[in-house]
Amino acid sequence: MGGPAASAAPPMLQLTNLSKTFESSHGTVVALERVGIEIGRGEFVTVVGPSGCGKSTLFNILAGLAEPDAGAQILYNGEPRKAPELLGKVAFMPQRDLLLPWRRVVDNAILPLQVEGVPRAEALKRAEPLFSEFGLAGFERHYPQQLSGGMRQRVALMRTFLFERDLTLLDEPFGALDALTRSLMQRWLLEVWQRHQRTILFITHDVEEAIFLGDRVLVMTARPGRIKLVLDVPLARPRPASMLTSPEFIDLKRQVLAAIEEESIKSFQQVAET
Amino acid sequence: MRAGFASQIAALLGLFVLWEVCVRVFDVAPHNMPAASAVLRDMAANTDLIGRGIVRTLSETLIGFAIGAAIGFVFGSAFAVSRALERLLFPLFIVSQAIPVIAFGALVVMWLGNDIWSKVAIAAYLTAFPVTVNTCRGMQAVDPQRVALLRSFGAGAWVLYWRLRVPYALPSIAAALKLGISLGLIGAIVGEWFGDTVGLGIMLLQAMYNENLPRVWSVILVCGAIGILLYSAFEAIERRWIWWKQEI
Repeated sequence: MGGPAASAAPPMLQLTNLSKTFESSHGTVVALERVGIEIGRGEFVTVVGPSGCGKSTLFNILAGLAEPDAGAQILYNGEPRKAPELLGKVAFMPQRDLLLPWRRVVDNAILPLQVEGVPRAEALKRAEPLFSEFGLAGFERHYPQQLSGGMRQRVALMRTFLFERDLTLLDEPFGALDALTRSLMQRWLLEVWQRHQRTILFITHDVEEAIFLGDRVLVMTARPGRIKLVLDVPLARPRPASMLTSPEFIDLKRQVLAAIEEESIKSFQQVAET
Repeated sequence: MRAGFASQIAALLGLFVLWEVCVRVFDVAPHNMPAASAVLRDMAANTDLIGRGIVRTLSETLIGFAIGAAIGFVFGSAFAVSRALERLLFPLFIVSQAIPVIAFGALVVMWLGNDIWSKVAIAAYLTAFPVTVNTCRGMQAVDPQRVALLRSFGAGAWVLYWRLRVPYALPSIAAALKLGISLGLIGAIVGEWFGDTVGLGIMLLQAMYNENLPRVWSVILVCGAIGILLYSAFEAIERRWIWWKQEI
């Protein structure tokens, strides 16, 4: 398992032997099989893989919402944790923005703070400087249904960032956006990440997105979900949009696509055999 | 909005005129159908009596509605949170509704006495059922992904309830409240039939025994007006405060 260079501080997150099986009426489904991941402090790690590869299961476990099979070890900040103990410890942003329609943009953004028990006035004070940074200045008093998809997603991201935790999980946050908005949001996210020094684990379908954003790319396999490839991305930051066509980028993309391709063929054959 | 209101008033006035004209032109006997003017004269001559009736019946309706809505909210919430409780008690709620409220009326009067509280009880009884059902269904329909999100923020059951379940169920609760206020009015009027001295229901009964047809119509119109006003008030509250829809 590749990882960041050893340092005095323990890695932010260390997963070993993480498996998850679901029993259903159609038989047993192995969503994750002996997954091992190590994420350093301040690292931006992206996870890419075919749909149904257990990425979301992995996130649910890390957010404390699901429990892995026995035998898994989760070290969070160097301390062993059971999955439910991670509830409230990790900032988790699911695929859908899940904004609450009865709350204004501000009140959606400060929801996690209020859940923590921060008084509204104090929470608003903390949120205020972030609106312009998240491109939401002037929209504080709007309701979610008055916003475009890109803006709603930024509200959801702002909510996630206001929930200041050592680890941030982003599950395909730009999946539903059009290509142009998406590439703008990617560059903007990198700026925000660099300014706030957060550790991010980011799920995506999109190989280019995974390489463009990540310090490292993890390629996952479908059923059972395993880590197939860990690829360091040695591209310099800040990364301009033009980087997408550089030879280094293309080369990385070829490696990731090759790994995914191999997997797709394998899962195709599995289907054909059964 | 304003224009719609004006045209509704105009339509109502038109109906009165039509009523008056028909009764006069076809020379309908007063014991079959009194003229609109006779009904209005009856109302004008008895404002005091009708006023007292309105105050009484409206109090019964509103107090009964408030108690019934509170009971419905509490039980609906409990059923939504606890499957076991729902399985245990919900069938009882259904059965209780299958028995016509009239059948309980005599019992309620014997238990609570022949004053305002027996009518309040019947109004509450009628209001509680739809509020229970819609509170429960509304809270059960809460989006599991939003529950998961709030839990990932560290929310416990209490925070989930107040910050998510209650607002999520409000549109469905509001629909039940509109139904409940109409049922509450019926409950209050019917409750008075078991005996009392003031109230619109009892006025209706007395008018029937005395074959005082203009009075019967006066009470019908007043009851109708109260019903419409109460319903519109809740409709307005809903439009102003509970405008979001449950997202699927």
